[in-house]
Amino acid sequence: MSPLLEIKNLSVSYGDVRALMDVSLEVAEGEIVALVGSNGAGKSTLLKTAAGLLRPAAGHVLFEGHDITHLSTKHRVDRGIVLVPEGRRLFQTLTVEENLKMGAYLPRARANYEESLERVFGLFPVLKERANGKAGLLSGGEQQMLAIGRAVMAHPKLVMIDEASLGLSPILTRKIFELIVALNQQGTTVLMVEQNIHMALNICHRAYVMKTGHIVLSGTGEELLANVDVRKAYVGERGSKL
Amino acid sequence: MTSLLQVVINGILLGSMYGIAAAGLSLIFGTMRIIFLAQGTVIVFFAFVVYWLFVKANIDPYLCLLIVVPFAFLVGLGLFYALFMRAAALEDKNVSLLIAVGLMYLIENAILKVWSASPRGLDISYSSAVISGWGLRIPWLRVALFGLALVSGLVVYLFLQKTRLGMAVRAAAEDMEATTLQGINSGWVCAVSFAVGIGLAGVAGVGMATVYSFDYQFGFTFALKALIALSLGGIGNVFGALAGGLILGVIENLTAYYLSISWIEAVSYGVFILVLIFLPQGLFGKRGVVKKA
Repeated sequence: MSPLLEIKNLSVSYGDVRALMDVSLEVAEGEIVALVGSNGAGKSTLLKTAAGLLRPAAGHVLFEGHDITHLSTKHRVDRGIVLVPEGRRLFQTLTVEENLKMGAYLPRARANYEESLERVFGLFPVLKERANGKAGLLSGGEQQMLAIGRAVMAHPKLVMIDEASLGLSPILTRKIFELIVALNQQGTTVLMVEQNIHMALNICHRAYVMKTGHIVLSGTGEELLANVDVRKAYVGERGSKL
Repeated sequence: MTSLLQVVINGILLGSMYGIAAAGLSLIFGTMRIIFLAQGTVIVFFAFVVYWLFVKANIDPYLCLLIVVPFAFLVGLGLFYALFMRAAALEDKNVSLLIAVGLMYLIENAILKVWSASPRGLDISYSSAVISGWGLRIPWLRVALFGLALVSGLVVYLFLQKTRLGMAVRAAAEDMEATTLQGINSGWVCAVSFAVGIGLAGVAGVGMATVYSFDYQFGFTFALKALIALSLGGIGNVFGALAGGLILGVIENLTAYYLSISWIEAVSYGVFILVLIFLPQGLFGKRGVVKKA
C-alpha cells in the first residue's frame, strides 16, 4: 500500500536561497510523524509546499498515490490534506463558530459539518463554551485548539501542524500534545513540525531530523530519543555533531 | 431653530450619497488594501447610464436600480478579473492603486467622448414633491436617497454577517493566506467583494442621477468626499462608513449655513486631516485596523 503522503526529491527556493534540497519523506496512514530541527532547517517550507502555498523547483508531492504537486490548495484541502499554519492565523474578528465554519467551507466538508462540529467540541469542549465569542479573545492555548479544530472541520485525512507549542507554557504544550494524540487515535494522520523536540519525539511514531534544507536522520521516536547526537543537539546535552 | 433642524436633516439626507460610496470603498479596501480612487468616476458612469435609460427608454430612475445594480456587479467582476487579479496578489499595493488611477482617467474620458462635457441632471416628474410639516420642507427624492443608503447598507451587512461567502470576505480581509488554507478560492472572494463595492457604486449612481447635476469630471472630487466619509467612519464597518457619510453631509450643510458655500471644501478637508491625525481608526472603526509602526 502506498503511503498517505509521499514527498519525493523535493527542492524549494525563495529567490536565490535554497530552502529545501532533495528532501524525501513518507507519512503512512494512521501515523504521527514529527519533523524536527533548528530554525531555518526548512520544516515550515516543507509543510507549506505540501499545502500548495509554495511551488517546488523540483520533486513531487504525492497524496494517496496521486501526484498533487501542481494542484491548488483548494483541491488539496478537498482531497483531505490541511495545514494548521505557524502562529495559528485565526480569523480574530470572526467568532469561534465562524472560524469553524470557514474550516468546513468546501462542499465535502460542509456535508459533514454537524459530525465534524461534534468531534471538535468533543476534543475541545472549551470551544463549545466560547462558540459565539470572538476568536481574538481566546487565550493562547484555546487559540491553538481552535486552529486545530478549524483544520479538523475540513474532514481531513492528514493534518499538518506547524509549531503547535509556539508561545505556550509547558503545561499547555503537554495538553495540546495530548489532544493531538487523541485526534490521531480517532483515525487522523498527523505530520507535525516542532521545536519542542523532546515532547514531539515522545508522542510521535516516527520522526525526521532536518538541518539546513536536508533530512539528516530519521527513525522511530524512541530511536531518535536514544540517539546520542540528537540528545546532544536538541535535548540539551553537549558536544553534538548535528 | 427650525431652519437649523432643516439644515441638519438636509445634511443627513445628502450625506447618504457619501455613505454609500464610502461603504463601497470600505469593502474594496478590505480585501485589496487600496483606496479605490476610481469609485467616484465609476459612480458618475452609472449616473450617466441611469440618465441614458431615463432619456432614451423613459425608465424611472428607481426602476433603473433593478438594471443598474446587477449590471454594476457584473462590471465589478469583469474589472477585477481583467485589471486587478494579478496586481492584487502582489505585495506592492501601489500597482493596484495606479491601475485604479488609470482606470479613473480612462472612464472619465470615455464619458467625455460618449456623453460630452455638458452637465446632466434628470428632469423627473416628481422631483419637486416635498414632505412638509413642523415648518420643515424635505424633498421626497432626498428621503428616498436616505432610504436607498439604509437598505443597501443593511443588505451588505446581512451578506457579510449571515452568508458563508460574506464570512469568507471578512476572513480574507483579515488574513488572505489563512483563507486560502481553508480551501477557499480567495481570488473569487476578492472578486466578489470588489463586485459588491462596484454594485454599491451602481446604487450611488442612481442616487447621484436623482439629486445631483453631474458631469464627467465630478467623479474624482466625489471619491475624495467618500474618502473623508470613510476616514470619519473608520474602515472595516459598513454602518460606520454610512454614518461617516451622514456626518460629512451635516458638516457640509452646517458650514454652508453658518459660513458660506465657498467654505465647504476647506472645512471638509480640514476635518479629514484632523481625523487622520487624532482619530486614525475613525469614530466607529475597529481599533487595530490601523496598526502603529
